[in-house]
Amino acid sequence: MTLTALLNFNLPIVALLPFVGAVFAAWASKINRLASAWVAAFVTILSLAFLAPLMALPFAGETLIQSWQWIPSIGLEFAFRLDGLALLFALLILVIGLLVIIYARYYLSKKDSMGRFFSYFLMFMGSMLGVVLSENLIQLVVFWELTSLTSFLLISYWQHRQDARAGARMALVITGMGGLALLAGVLLLGHVVGSYNLTDVLASGELIQSHELYVPILILILLGVFTKSAQFPFHFWLPHAMAAPTPVSAYLHSATMVKAGIFLLARFFPVLSGSPEWAWLVGGAGLVTLLIGAYAALFQHDMKGLLAYSTISHLGLITLLFGFGTELAAVAAIFHIINHATFKASLFMVAGIIDHETGTRDMRRINGLLKYMPHTAVLAIIASSAMAGVPLLNGFLSKEMFFDQALTASHTSSWAWGIPFLVVIAAVFSVAYSLRFIHDVFFNGEPVNLPKTPHEPPRFMKIPVDLLVVICLAVGIAPMFTVAPILAVAVAGTLQTTPPEYSLAIWHGFNLPLMMSFVALVLGGLVYFYRKRLFEWHESNVAHWDARVIFNAVLGWVNALATVVTRSFDKGSLQHASVWVIATGLLAGFIGFATVSAPLLGERALLPMDAISILVVIVLILASVLTVTLHQKRLVALIMLGVVGLIVSLAFVKFSAPDLALTQLSVEVVTVVLLLLALYFLPQTTPKETSHFRVSRDIVIAVLSGVGVMLFTMAVLSRDFSPISEFFLLNSVPGGGGTNVVNVILVDFRGTDTLGEIAVLALAGLGIYAMLQGMKLPAPDHDSHGRLWNRDLHPEIMQTLTRLLLPLMTMIAIYIFLRGHNLPGGGFIAGLIAAVALIVQYLANGIAWTNDRLKFDMHWVIGLGLLIATATGLVAMGLGYPFLTTTFTYLNWPVVGKFEVASAIAFDLGVFLVVVGATVLSLVELGKLSDQSHKTQSPLKPQQENS
Amino acid sequence: MFELILSALILLGAFFTLVGSFGLYKLPDFFMRLHGPTKATTLGVGALLIASALYFSFKTDYISMHEILVTLFLFITAPVSAHLMAKAAIHIKIKQVKRTQNQIK
Repeated sequence: MTLTALLNFNLPIVALLPFVGAVFAAWASKINRLASAWVAAFVTILSLAFLAPLMALPFAGETLIQSWQWIPSIGLEFAFRLDGLALLFALLILVIGLLVIIYARYYLSKKDSMGRFFSYFLMFMGSMLGVVLSENLIQLVVFWELTSLTSFLLISYWQHRQDARAGARMALVITGMGGLALLAGVLLLGHVVGSYNLTDVLASGELIQSHELYVPILILILLGVFTKSAQFPFHFWLPHAMAAPTPVSAYLHSATMVKAGIFLLARFFPVLSGSPEWAWLVGGAGLVTLLIGAYAALFQHDMKGLLAYSTISHLGLITLLFGFGTELAAVAAIFHIINHATFKASLFMVAGIIDHETGTRDMRRINGLLKYMPHTAVLAIIASSAMAGVPLLNGFLSKEMFFDQALTASHTSSWAWGIPFLVVIAAVFSVAYSLRFIHDVFFNGEPVNLPKTPHEPPRFMKIPVDLLVVICLAVGIAPMFTVAPILAVAVAGTLQTTPPEYSLAIWHGFNLPLMMSFVALVLGGLVYFYRKRLFEWHESNVAHWDARVIFNAVLGWVNALATVVTRSFDKGSLQHASVWVIATGLLAGFIGFATVSAPLLGERALLPMDAISILVVIVLILASVLTVTLHQKRLVALIMLGVVGLIVSLAFVKFSAPDLALTQLSVEVVTVVLLLLALYFLPQTTPKETSHFRVSRDIVIAVLSGVGVMLFTMAVLSRDFSPISEFFLLNSVPGGGGTNVVNVILVDFRGTDTLGEIAVLALAGLGIYAMLQGMKLPAPDHDSHGRLWNRDLHPEIMQTLTRLLLPLMTMIAIYIFLRGHNLPGGGFIAGLIAAVALIVQYLANGIAWTNDRLKFDMHWVIGLGLLIATATGLVAMGLGYPFLTTTFTYLNWPVVGKFEVASAIAFDLGVFLVVVGATVLSLVELGKLSDQSHKTQSPLKPQQENS
Repeated sequence: MFELILSALILLGAFFTLVGSFGLYKLPDFFMRLHGPTKATTLGVGALLIASALYFSFKTDYISMHEILVTLFLFITAPVSAHLMAKAAIHIKIKQVKRTQNQIK
């Protein structure tokens, strides 16, 4: 494949490569602790390399779309898009991601699993890239949900910590809920536009805004945005997510996770903005979040808590800018996204370094670090000055633009005159908490009672911070030569038109925005100077408000409701559950019978009855009744159940279903063994537990459903109808090359169904294995009459004779398997017979003896079976036919004559292996359980053996 | 002649099976009853199987081998189940008829 061909689908590669890399990162950690960090860095660079050749396109004003059909019937395409906005975000995600990877490699301690961290990290990075590069909206939502899931894994990375688990769960609940709302919004949007492709959606702004569904769409999408971007009233999950390792916070809360919501605001800005609803909802949420975040940040004692609330506040600022709805406001918003990503990532990293080197993040204890770590101090001072909006740093420029826009917005309507004041108040607090971050940590006396003596971190831990701080400075001093080009294309990509005129100059002369900046700086200094009084007031009046209390109350209420609903249907009793199911079936059947006026019986004449059939049916009825009445004598009931099963298989023989009869017989054997193994652990006598009311209720339900099923069967069987079996009977030989229609259906016509079924069987077998593994159940060492079990577990006569059975039964299994395509038999039945052959050996000789001689593990048998079955399907695909297409041919053998060979037999072999593996695995695991209970019994009591 | 042999075998088989079932019903205690199904039935079913093998081998083109397999399976499994049942009966000290010689203690 040439490189140019590869370039035709490099957008999906950019997004999906990290997912592949995640597997390797997890695997690499087994080789070397640091190897996974290298893998992660390499994958990120590789993604950047795949993105690089396309970067010129957005600059040339083009939008690149790479799409493939996925499920066209519901408008789902696998489609990717690269425009200015997507490019900006992809670069932020990858570049800051790379810096965080370098940082994390030094941050994580020896106790932390590197493989798990970088694997989660890469998956998260891939999900984020998927969100920003998606062209199809449904696909975007899928990646969006993936960011919620992977961020859950990242936040709860320190699984042993209760706060990490709680914080991760809160983030998942809030953002997952928003994701559902977003999905609904996107579905409505697609319904209105008629397409899920962004290109079409972005071109139909007027259609959407004039549609009656505009407000529901807006609210649903904004719910997604606000939950993700921690906007009021969903802001409270973000501070709790600070329980994550600091590299995670640095990544999630600067450039990625929370910016995904902002990204969506920017993405839908051209189609959804401009209405009063947009201005009120987006602007309102942004303004409130800006103020709350800035206010709360000042009072955090935890460094990361301060940064968390400051992040909330800055996200509010960006949201507010989008809420203004003007093109220049959008420019300011995009600009601030870039600036916030750089200074906030570096600040989080500084917080991590300090935490790493001092052992605490409490700003009441960390003081005067300047002399211990001067380099880090300089970096932190520059970055937090950028956060405060000090001139010559990047934060100043975007804040100027923000003030300017706030002033513009204040003229728009009568309610808006207060905006500039509120914005300045927020800026005052922003300056104050930035000042606190600098002054409390690096000055303000000596450190108090630190767990470690602080010193500078390893050189490479600071390099990512160095780079980010240099960017802050460079953008702040010379914006035209640094950020201008990428900002221009990102704005063009957001607005989907040519960007408006704007100036990135540092000096605009003495104007109102500059005055506002100045006022904010001075007042912010004053607020910090008088912080003691403010802190006291805050402690006594505001500090006890905690959104988490409300969240937990709501969550508890929802859980209680769910429990009540579940408990009223499912009382943990099988009888109770079956009453619901059967009664519902009865009701549905009754409605069906009652609402149709057709006669109960059809025209077809009834078949004559013979004496033997009547006799057999009477035995069946007797056995069924006895099973129920004797249920307290479990062994007898089990034998009666066996009688029922045998008669059913006789019935199959009578009505010419030999395959079913064979299956029924072998299933019967396996079931009886299974039940015997299970009965061993149950009490040997059942107490009389049911009340008269329940017994009579159950009798009524049982009789009614039995009569109902009989009437239903009669109604169907007494009518002439052409069943689907006609087709199979006609096409079995020409289409599948076999005369056994049942088998041809299983392995050929309905091969995909069978593949699904054996996959379920394999999973069930493995599931039983997993559940019973290492389990210990107490079992009595005597029967209900107090007699000890016989200690001669494997009598020699039984051992010797049953060993002869294995070759014989195996031969029969192979015979049944081979003839299956043309005569009754096939992989499923043969598998059951082979499984019984093996189980007989286990029973007669004991598990240890048999396992010693049976050298293969049943896990491998199951896996091999699934592989073979899937491979037959894939071979057909490789040859250009649909999945699981079969072929057959006739060979002329010298002695045997004309012989039919079908490729389906390989598929059948897969079925055979899975059936053997799953059956043996689960029964042997149950057997081990009873073996285990034999061995854990009290030491030998006096033998009661007779001789 | 062929029909005569077949009939004789089938009747023999049916007779012994009947005797076995009758014994299962009539004999006084567990150990005696065990004889019915194991011994008599083995003989009876064996005769029936030979009849079946003969019939299908001569009436169709193929030699019928199923019956031999069935016989083999019966001969392997019947003693094992009889043995296990006897062992179980001894273990739980099932009641014996007084007249039995060499009583199990």
